[in-house]
Amino acid sequence: MLVKVKDFEKFLDNCKTQMPRGIDAVIVPDKSLEDREFKYFVNIPDAKNIILNSYRTVEPIRMLFYLPRAQVFPYEKKNIKRLLVGVKGCDLRSLRLLDKALINDDFIDPDYKFWRDNTYIISTDCQELGESCHCTVLNGTPWAKHNFDINMTRVDDDFVLEVGSEKGQEILELLKEYMTITEAPVRIRELKDKKRLEMEAKVREQNKEFTIQNYKDLRKYASEKWKKESKDCVGCGACTNSCCSCYCIIVNDETREGEKFIKVRSTDSCQINGYARVAGGDSPRPHMYQRFRNRYLCKFDYMPSQFELMGCEGCGRCIDACPAEIDIRKVVRSLAEG
Amino acid sequence: MCEKNAFRTISATVTKLVEESPLIRTLRVEPEEEFVFHTGQFAELSVPNIGEGPFTPSSGQFDRDILEFTIMKAGFVTEHIHQLKVGDRIGLRGPFGTKYPIDEWYGKDVLILGGGVGLAPTRSLFLSLVHQIDKYKSITFLTGARTPGDMIYKDQVKEWNKIDKVNIISAVDKVPEGQEWDCEVCLITKLLDKVTIDPQESPAVVCGPPVMMKFGTIELLNHGFQESNIYLSMEKKMYCGHGQCRHCVMGKYYACKDGAVFTYDKIKNEENIWE
Repeated sequence: MLVKVKDFEKFLDNCKTQMPRGIDAVIVPDKSLEDREFKYFVNIPDAKNIILNSYRTVEPIRMLFYLPRAQVFPYEKKNIKRLLVGVKGCDLRSLRLLDKALINDDFIDPDYKFWRDNTYIISTDCQELGESCHCTVLNGTPWAKHNFDINMTRVDDDFVLEVGSEKGQEILELLKEYMTITEAPVRIRELKDKKRLEMEAKVREQNKEFTIQNYKDLRKYASEKWKKESKDCVGCGACTNSCCSCYCIIVNDETREGEKFIKVRSTDSCQINGYARVAGGDSPRPHMYQRFRNRYLCKFDYMPSQFELMGCEGCGRCIDACPAEIDIRKVVRSLAEG
Repeated sequence: MCEKNAFRTISATVTKLVEESPLIRTLRVEPEEEFVFHTGQFAELSVPNIGEGPFTPSSGQFDRDILEFTIMKAGFVTEHIHQLKVGDRIGLRGPFGTKYPIDEWYGKDVLILGGGVGLAPTRSLFLSLVHQIDKYKSITFLTGARTPGDMIYKDQVKEWNKIDKVNIISAVDKVPEGQEWDCEVCLITKLLDKVTIDPQESPAVVCGPPVMMKFGTIELLNHGFQESNIYLSMEKKMYCGHGQCRHCVMGKYYACKDGAVFTYDKIKNEENIWE
């Protein structure tokens, strides 16, 4: 299917003053600071410069589903339906792991499930490359294959539309009220595939020195190696906080006197000393290099054995966020090369 | 799919307090609704507006009208637990984790090693076994503490030792001046030399500080106990209790939902189990 870019942009423009039928919030990637590279998800009335076809935003969409702070007991469902536009493949791949971790036979996080159930996702292909983007190293692609309701690929003045779920069908019906949707000619569909492969080749070219083999079996490296790799790390936790796969939390009790118990969860980071501290003050990982190593092993050893998925999608946010300029790709390569 | 909210917290009232040692106290609590657990499982206890932490009941699983926790003052939340008075309320969440498979041990000699505040979960196990003592061949309970003053349940141990088929041996590492002690003075692992049960078939349970867990396991193996018969109660930071927060991850396992009771053969190759 095909829709004119200007028609879709007009739809988004309309959303700024009037929400579409059945939708309470539209959230888009926005680059309001013209001179900066940074894009953030914002509520559409606040958007000044919506960027749909570039690479990922600064914050992972995890933060929109698994809020940095949420009351989980007692849990009251809200009455909100959201539409997220411009979500990227890396973020949607990370939702596979979060879905397994947070909605399973043993346990359901009520707030995560609520936002998963009540959010429509329109994804858009990456047609620009970020310096730290390396999805291809982790067997990903710069377009979405999973977890989108509708995907849009820009080809010249059109978007090629693909419906990915039943919810996508609902959104398609909604979009039809605002714009003309036609069949995509073969020529344009071929152009779409070509654009994708070109973009994928660019990501591969940027990351040609890195291979997924290096990410496997990190346990075998001696602590001396980890000490060397982590020597610049200050343990700030920016890497885990910006990660699209990390989901560690702490549980706080915020009960007020004489009232029912209230439980609130908040984001935590394994890089912070005290994270795994047990009664009496002992920590299993008192040294920075141990906590540094834990993050790598969690992503490339523990999570694969627990979920059959790696805890990294190659979004590169941790690389951008690190004040010590530590690059996850270079660390695993350096470990492997000795 | 699981429909129950794992964060659901019920209220419980403190009905009795026993000071077991300068740092350890036992709380008896009365929950607002029945709280059923299997021995070995733990609960998240919360002090309103302070925080919560994982604690294993020290009462037996069959004593349905009694729910007790024995808790050492060791950090922020436990500091506040030690300030609680009779009539105060706490929050109760759970139970979580695996249980000691006490029904698989019928007809066997059961060995338990409990050290320091690690005696609390083993008290629960011991009381649960004693409740159906005719189903077991014998129960040997080795209890240890740093000094006589740190030894908890002293009076109860004397009573328990009178039970038929029960053999309790206690040891302290040292006896400081001014303290009295009429049992053994040695490391708890040394007491294994006094144990006469057949190691091939017998289950052995270890609960205590990490160093005791480590050397207890090594000594049990030296004495001929089987890796698959050694039950370890792993102490990790089990923040959430249900495999979400990741603080207690041990390689591919979560201490909270795959444990906290593990057999040694299951975890021996995992990361840093003794830390």
